[in-house]
Amino acid sequence: MLSLYLPGDGVLHRMPPGPKILTLLALVLGVSLLPAAWWAACAAAAMCVIAYAVAGLGDGAVGMRQFGRQVFAIRWIAGLTIVGQLIFLGPEPAVANTARVCAAIIIAALLVLTTRVTTLLDTLERALRPLEFVRLDPQRAALLLTVTITTVPVLAGLARQVREAQRARGSSGGLRTFAVPFLVMALKHADELGDALAARGVG
Amino acid sequence: MSIQLSGVRVRLGENDVLRNVSLDLDARTGAVIGENGSGKSTFARLLGGLISRTEGTVRVLGLDPGTQARQLRRRTAFLFSNPDAQIVMPTVAEDVAFSLRGSGFGPDELKDRVNTTLNRFGLAALAEHSSHDLSGGQKQLLALSGSFVRCPELVIADEPTAFLDARNARHVADHLFRDTGHRLVLVTHDLTLAQRCDTAVLFADGRIRTVGAPGTVVAEYERMLEC
Repeated sequence: MLSLYLPGDGVLHRMPPGPKILTLLALVLGVSLLPAAWWAACAAAAMCVIAYAVAGLGDGAVGMRQFGRQVFAIRWIAGLTIVGQLIFLGPEPAVANTARVCAAIIIAALLVLTTRVTTLLDTLERALRPLEFVRLDPQRAALLLTVTITTVPVLAGLARQVREAQRARGSSGGLRTFAVPFLVMALKHADELGDALAARGVG
Repeated sequence: MSIQLSGVRVRLGENDVLRNVSLDLDARTGAVIGENGSGKSTFARLLGGLISRTEGTVRVLGLDPGTQARQLRRRTAFLFSNPDAQIVMPTVAEDVAFSLRGSGFGPDELKDRVNTTLNRFGLAALAEHSSHDLSGGQKQLLALSGSFVRCPELVIADEPTAFLDARNARHVADHLFRDTGHRLVLVTHDLTLAQRCDTAVLFADGRIRTVGAPGTVVAEYERMLEC
């Protein structure tokens, strides 16, 4: 699900971050408010395809390669969402709701695909500045969000290490034997990252 | 004097990790050696203002790391053994630029400084590369770039070559030892690296056992290991 910045000069790359966030937010809201009907599922999918096609991602396939990657990345979310709703709501609402959720995530991914994290950090800092009067530190809040985004690949790496260690010891791997070492490693990483941020003059 | 400690005790949990440590260190490069758990890393973290002393006085570059940590961090850099924990931003150039946030440089000057530093550490070709996909050696060079882009007066390195192969370890060490006007406190298990320093400090059981010329201190450490 993590999308990293793709260098490029498409429409979204050139758009200033503020208007870009508002545009994408409007699109996400648009797909979220669609009704639970077959045509709405088709409309959500069409909005995604059009958004990726016009974004100018420069992937050599009119944005469809990146679109495919994003769909593949959220396959588990799609699977879990559709199965649960098929049981309780029936096929039409299940497909429509799943399409809306997936479309919202995939459209939101365009923000990080076309915006440098540094730019996002600066924009968030500026956007959060009015909240200083309620004692919210905009620098800290923006940094928190940025570090959350950039820590995803580290956590994925830690999860891989735990799985490899389990396999190396001949274990098939249950939830508990995975979760405990993963949590310990994640918390240790959080401690180290906190120290590294402090050492780099943050906090 | 760059580093002065007097009667320092550091208690973490139920244990005194440093006990009655007094030191006056003014060499350009100083090695800190000792067995695991001897207090070396705690000493380094104390100097970097990452932990607080329980009693005693500490002065680093004339500042108290306990009460003037923010000012001290503007003048020092801390290098950890695990480069993964030091990377904050997704691309190489952004991560180096992150160290200059709030420094007041304009976009052009910031870009120049980042590019100069990346060139110096041989990472210019990887500027747009994902930071987390670098090799271990490249990640440590990125961590070094993030430290040196701020032109620190003092670099505190806690086993910076522990995760690296021989070639990368030598490469990182060469950068650390190159005289750019900074002082270096190097915590290391690599006795060859310790010998390259101007002075060495041997820690044992939370106390300083010996301070002096690296040859003498390393010889004493080796005698200690034979016991």
